[in-house]
Parts: sequence; C-alpha cells; structure tokens
Amino acid sequence: MTVAAAIPPEGPSPEASSDQAAVLARYDELGELLAGMDDRPPADPELWGPASAALLHEARLLDAGRFEDWLCGWTDDAVLWVPLSSPAHPGTDQSLLLDDRRRLAERVEWRRDPSAWGQQPPSRTVRIVGGVEAWPAPGGLVTRSTLLIDEHRHGRRQQLAGCQIHELVGDGLRRRTKILVVPALGTGVRNPSFLL
Amino acid sequence: MPADFDPPTIDFEQLVQPHRVHRRLYTDPQIFGLEMTRVFAASWCYVGHESEIPEPGDYRTTTLGLRPVLMTRGRDGGINVLLNRCAHRGTVVAGEERGCAKRFVCPYHGWTYSPDGRLVAIPFPADHPAQDYSTLSLGRLEAASYRGFVFATLNADPEPLDCWLGEAREALDTIIDRHPGGEIAVMGSPQLLEFAGNWKLSWDNAADGLHATFAHHSYNTLGETVDVETVLARDPGSTPMVSKALRNGHMVVDQRPGIPQGPWATMRDVPFREPLESTLADAGAAELLDLATGSMLNLSLFPNLIFVGNQLLVVEPVAVDRTRLQLWLTSAPGAPPEIDLLRLRVDEDFVNFGTPDDLDMFERVQRGLSIPEMEWIDMSRGLPDDSTADGSVYGPITSEAPQRRYLAHYAELMTTPAKTRAL
Ligand code: FES
Ligand SMILES: [Fe+2]
Repeated sequence: MTVAAAIPPEGPSPEASSDQAAVLARYDELGELLAGMDDRPPADPELWGPASAALLHEARLLDAGRFEDWLCGWTDDAVLWVPLSSPAHPGTDQSLLLDDRRRLAERVEWRRDPSAWGQQPPSRTVRIVGGVEAWPAPGGLVTRSTLLIDEHRHGRRQQLAGCQIHELVGDGLRRRTKILVVPALGTGVRNPSFLL
Repeated sequence: MPADFDPPTIDFEQLVQPHRVHRRLYTDPQIFGLEMTRVFAASWCYVGHESEIPEPGDYRTTTLGLRPVLMTRGRDGGINVLLNRCAHRGTVVAGEERGCAKRFVCPYHGWTYSPDGRLVAIPFPADHPAQDYSTLSLGRLEAASYRGFVFATLNADPEPLDCWLGEAREALDTIIDRHPGGEIAVMGSPQLLEFAGNWKLSWDNAADGLHATFAHHSYNTLGETVDVETVLARDPGSTPMVSKALRNGHMVVDQRPGIPQGPWATMRDVPFREPLESTLADAGAAELLDLATGSMLNLSLFPNLIFVGNQLLVVEPVAVDRTRLQLWLTSAPGAPPEIDLLRLRVDEDFVNFGTPDDLDMFERVQRGLSIPEMEWIDMSRGLPDDSTADGSVYGPITSEAPQRRYLAHYAELMTTPAKTRAL
C-alpha cells in the first residue's frame, strides 16, 4: 500500500475542475466520513490489532509531548479536524480547528515556543483510548475509537471525552485524516489548546 | 420592586477611581450579583442576529445577565426576545439551543405559548371554568434591531437603541457595509470557551493595544516563519492606529491606518488558502480577499458584544470568577463562496494560536487578584485623557483610556441603578 493509492476514488482527482473543487471534495469527504460513522456494519476483527497499535502509539506520543515524532506520522495531504458538533461540514460550519499538514507543523512549533502562554506551562495529559473498531478502506483502514483525556495545568484539572475517527494509510498506517468529536465543545471548555 | 432587593451600600466611586480600580470588582460575589441587574439587565445587550432565525417559529436561546432568554421570530415575521420561563411555576420552556417551533409547550404541565410569548392554551380548561389566565404570558424584553443585530433590555426606561449606540454606529456601519450589498449573516455553532475569571477581564482586554506585543508574542513569531510581519509585532504605540473610548462604555480600536497594504497582505498561510485564493484571482476578484479577514476595526459594545476578526465575541458571565465566551462567525452572503470558505480557516487561526494566550492571562489575573493585601489595579497609562465635546476620548492604542472610560460608565450604572422590569 502507498500513500498515493490511499486517495479514495471519490476524492479529488488530478483533473479536478478547479482548485476550489478540490478543497470542497476534501471537505465533503470529511463531512461524509463523520456522518456515515454510526451506520457502519460491525467492525473487521482482523483489523483490530493493527488499528489498536496505531491508535495507542499516537496517544502515547501525545501524552509524552513527543510532538515532532507525532508529526512524522501524518501524510502530506493530512487533515486534523475538530468540529464543534456532529454531524458537521468543514465548509459550512465553524470548527474548533481544521489543520492541514502545514498548520500541524506550526502547531508543533507553537507547542515548543516558551512564550505560547496558552500552553506554557504545558498541559499534562493522560489519554485513555477504548472501543476500537476498524474497517478496510482504500489504501488502508478507517477506525473509530472512544477517547477520554484527563488534563491538568496550572493546578487545575479537566476531563474531556469524545470519539475519534482515523483514516490510516500505507504500510506504516500513517494518519491521512483524524476527526475528533468532543461533545463538551458544544457547552464550553477551558483553553482546549491541548486537544490534538 | 428592584430585582436586587436589599442592595448593600457599596461605594463604587471609591472602587473605580480615575487612575485605578479595586480588586473587589473582580472577586466579590455580591458585586457580581448586582452587576447582573444593574449592568446586564439595565443596558441593551446583544442577543443574536436576525439571520439565525430566518423563518417564523425559528428560535435561539441565550442568557442575559444569567437570565435564560429566548429569541424568536413570530408568525408576523417580527423578532421577539422573551424570558425563557413558564408563567406557571417557572420552568425553562425551551430546552434546546435552537430550533423551530409553532408553539412552545412547557414540559412540566403543558402550558402552551405562541412564538410571541402569549399564553395560548392550558390543558383541561373545563376543569376550572372560572379561572382567568388572560394576564399571563412569557416575560418580554424590550427588543430592537440595528441592521439585523438584535439587542434587548429589561430597563424600564431605555434610551432608544440608536442613541445608545451613538458614535459606535459609524464603526458598526463600516463593519456591515464592507460586505457586498451590506449583507452580513451569522453561522450556527459558536466556539464556546470558558475561563476561570471575571467577565470584565475580557472587557479590559478588548481595546488593550499593548498586550498583543507581549501576550501574543508567540502568534507574532508564528507569522515570521512565513516572512509576514504581523501588525501585532510592531511597536504598537508608534503606529498610526487609534483607540477611541465612546459614550456608554463602547470602544473602538482602529488598526486600519497601520495597515495601508490591506489586511489580506498580513494574513498567515491558513489551510487551503492557496487554492481558494487562486480560484478568486482567476475570477478577477482578488481584491475581495480582504473580506476574508476582519475589518481591522475592533468594536466593543458594552457590556457583551465585541467584534474581532470576522467573529462576534459575546461575553457571557457565569459566576464572579467564571466567564463563557461565545464566538460566532459571520459570513458574507453577497460575496463569492471562497470568501466564507476562507473565513472559516482564517478565524480558527487566532482562536487556536492567539486566544489561548488571552485565556491564560485572564486566569492569571484572576489568581493574582485573589491577594487581599494588594488592592489596586493600575489603569493610569495615558492620563490625562483628552476628550472631545461629545465625551469621546482618542489616543494611541497603548493608552488605557478605553478601560478607564468603560469602567467610569460601569460605576455610573452601579451607583444609580435603573429600574428594570419584564413587559
Ligand atoms: S411550570 Fe410550566 S406548565 Fe407548569
Ligand atoms: Fe488578545
């Protein structure tokens, strides 16, 4: 499996009519991945092992603050999307964030900046990943899992729960897409800049 | 009967002095309780935008000084702002954040209201035929719209909305009129951010032209990696930008004189910028790109609406040391679709890499203000103020005149409480 082969057939093609169409196609893909998740059939038990290993590895890197290593695990056409509600569409609904590879790199840089006060001192987190399900997808697999993040900084603690959807591609199961749905964002959370 | 009965004697002229204010304003729960009526109920507060409730029966809920409030569009197309509280025993009637309802049925005993708040039915009326409910309805606020922006008040004798806006109307018109056809709309699903601090901390910050250089240092250097000099990175006091303190606590920071090349030229590389930019350029509409950024005119309408970027920041007090910020994104329905597509990514940028700084500063200040032995907050920078005949104050953006002025207005509201009531 290769990264290029991972682009699903309904995704943007090289001869897409315009630049804008390619953006919209990627946004539609994200919206549909989120909207269709609850209708999926039972997961493929064969994929549970590799999917779990990839998700737990990601959680471990993030909790350890190894953001550069975490960044290496993304494809060039990566998108990290944190919508504010579900269902949602990245082109019509406000999100907490929607990062491409470039902004992911800036985010890592920002986490290292001693004057980025929103994360200085940094949040300490523990991620509990559970309920892993995985299905085959073009070029790799799609997973859904539940996530509990326990965070503390400045002597205060908060817990956020949510579900995460990953599209993992290629032999290394690199992240092409990650959607993080945290229902509490719809009622208000404190400084969510640790959410990745 | 005033909503805050048994008002204790607090000397606000002592607590709010020309050059300093007392920490109690930020830490005293009793003062917070009084503010919910004397400031929030007695002023015009922003409730929502007409574009959020386009059809008859559409509604959205919010709060006004902690009071659950309901904005509806009536069958006649008119806008109503109601207290979301059943006239029977007080249940909150509409539980969803938004929706469309022909009638609002109270879930407790089934009393039923029309979208304009009238009580239209009670269950089993034949059981008690002599009963008269004709005087009962949902409580109503005085409501008025300025070009689609809906404000409401419980003040028994409010200044007309246009007068209350005063000189701020000019800035508000500028923000609206930059949208093609003067059409501005508000998207659903706000970003909701809380901080462990008093609501006035966000107000102190809204026209603070000095903090960006320090508190947002990391955002400024994030811009440097792509060789873009952000406005925030320059010596703020030496730019031709101006801040203005207007009547009624309103404030304006005009950054436009400091960015003659236009705001898009200072924009960072947000996700999917290039394809959308080139689609617009191919259509010969590149000059519209400035619309994808904010107006560079930060307008704050005291006490709860701040225009920043293309977002409406609504300040919602929760407790003396807890505040919720609602960030609503505005769209430009008259512009090519690329503009709104860009706006989504542009406004996320500061919320992710700038707003966390502000939230952290607010919480740090609140912690610092917990020290009883250090009583005062200094607000003297730029004194003495030069004011114009209409009471406005102008200065470089590093002057603390806007903070002084809104707090002086605040002290007036707190010292001489206006009568409040529901219609
Ligand atoms: S409280 Fe609403 S019907 Fe009784
Ligand atoms: Fe700020």
